Amino acid sequence: MRQIITKRLSMLVLVLLGVTLITFFLSHVIPGDPARMMVGQRASEETLQEVRRQLGLDQPVWVQYFTYMKGLLAGDFGSSIRTQQPVVDDLIKFFPATLELALTAFIIAIVIGIPIGILSAVKKDTSWDHAGRFFSIAGISTPVFWSGLIGILVFYKFFDLLPSSGRIDLTVTPPPTITGLYLFDSLITGNWTAFGNSLWHLALPACTLAFAQLAIVTRQVRASMLEVLGQEYIRTALANGIHGPVLLFRYALRNALIPTITVVGLSFGSLLGGAVVTETIFSWPGMGKYVVESIAFLDFPAIMGFTFVISFGYVIINLLVDLTYYALDPQIKE
Amino acid sequence: MSGMTANTESISKVATTKPVNPFWYKIRRNPLTLFGLFLLLLILLASIFAPLISSYDPTKINITQRFAPPSGDHWFGTDEVGRDIFTRILYGARLSLGVGVAVVFGAGLIGTVIGAISGYFGGKLDQIIMRLMDIVLAFPSLVLAMAVAATLGPNLQNAMLAIAIIKIPVYVRLARAETLALREKLFVKAAVTFGIKPWRIIARHIIPNALSPVVIQVTLDIGDAILLVATLGFLGLGAQPPTPEWGAMISIGWKYLLDYWWYPTFPGLALFLASCGFNLIGDGIRDILDPKANR
Repeated sequence: MRQIITKRLSMLVLVLLGVTLITFFLSHVIPGDPARMMVGQRASEETLQEVRRQLGLDQPVWVQYFTYMKGLLAGDFGSSIRTQQPVVDDLIKFFPATLELALTAFIIAIVIGIPIGILSAVKKDTSWDHAGRFFSIAGISTPVFWSGLIGILVFYKFFDLLPSSGRIDLTVTPPPTITGLYLFDSLITGNWTAFGNSLWHLALPACTLAFAQLAIVTRQVRASMLEVLGQEYIRTALANGIHGPVLLFRYALRNALIPTITVVGLSFGSLLGGAVVTETIFSWPGMGKYVVESIAFLDFPAIMGFTFVISFGYVIINLLVDLTYYALDPQIKE
Repeated sequence: MSGMTANTESISKVATTKPVNPFWYKIRRNPLTLFGLFLLLLILLASIFAPLISSYDPTKINITQRFAPPSGDHWFGTDEVGRDIFTRILYGARLSLGVGVAVVFGAGLIGTVIGAISGYFGGKLDQIIMRLMDIVLAFPSLVLAMAVAATLGPNLQNAMLAIAIIKIPVYVRLARAETLALREKLFVKAAVTFGIKPWRIIARHIIPNALSPVVIQVTLDIGDAILLVATLGFLGLGAQPPTPEWGAMISIGWKYLLDYWWYPTFPGLALFLASCGFNLIGDGIRDILDPKANR
């Protein structure tokens, strides 16, 4: 176990180094000149040179990379060209909204996806199964931005049931910042108005994001349930008179969930990508909306900071998923 | 003439030894796969015969007709400069399907070659290549594609390149795994003993035999690639207006959603159907070709 952790941690360092290399060098092959972008078209040559010196752009690329890495290790991602604020501050400001959205979607996907997957596997080749499979294929085939638009059209425009943008009504005071997650903060401070209002705002974006995720969960649960149900120990259990829920949940589901954890954990990455699009559609003030606005401005410090933070989070999640996997499956303990 | 005899010969041979082609037999028994095939054929034919189906020009501006709702004249309505949305979707299908297929085939080809080289030679080279692929896989795919497309500049070519980059590692891994197994096979060892050059062995013996998992993956990936191209287009990082690309159309249309609902809705529907078609077929082909897959 310890060997595995050490191995994975050294891999983690390597991967993060690679992530910084890719993001850094990508941002330096662009023809655009960030110094020019900061000072504007009409600035004099001297000002331009001065800004270039300040940004360290007159140094060789590897020196720039070294400086960038030094900053990164100290938590400095540079300043955003668009907001003129340190990228770190911006990201910290927008992070809780993204986390709240992604976590809620993740929970919805799991709570609905696992039962559908089980049902599909148990009722294999019936109309239940066909419906479940069609549903999951529809889920992975639907672009997140389109399901979001349809959601707004139906639930906001036609039925006027849910709001189409923002985290909370302007007339409702947000809860005091403890974690930055409105649901959680309003819950522990007992602010039910804010809780209800933020839940109401969260419903549509979270369901949109969960829909794509749901498909991945359903497919994987179905496939691993089918595999487990075909195994001999299940047949033995059946022969011994064990059936129904006990067989399904105590005997089959436990083993079927092991591969599911890996796939679902890995799909958290696509959830983060989907969050970028969802936030744009629903004007959700998170990191995704921030980065899309930064892209329009060719604001590279912001884009690179976002890419780094998201990739870092993704690598950490993968590591946790692997560790859970090793912890759960006694067969792979070498 | 001799070609024709060969042809009839092969037909009669097939007819005597294989009364039913098992592949088509299985596809026919899977209603969802058939439905996917039907969807794709429909979209493909519609895009090929676009000029015959619609008399409108996909890019010509007609201000007097702006934001016309769906009607007999304009099935899916018109956009902010009066272009017929149905026509633009038909022409856009050529682009979206073409780009999706091209990206995945490109990534599949490059990935397979890299994977075969990595697996065949092994050692340091293999280590370096696989660690590089691990790094690419360490990014959430859409986020990496966005970063690459944003840095290279927003246009369709760069979006395609960005998506190819995130798709390559999967093919490298697949081809490498196959190569590792093939390298131990007798016919490859025999080729080595005969002194055949490694490049020739890779090209003639390894790659052709390593293709089947790659082909399954390609069919599974096309639907996803079409969505990714459209997503980048939606974020303003892919095809630029007035190109009738579905994602780019939605990117402009969603701002008008509340007043002119048809504008972003129909391109999105087309996107959904196309991606659904590929995913249904991909799923079906995997079920048929991969005996390990559970269905």
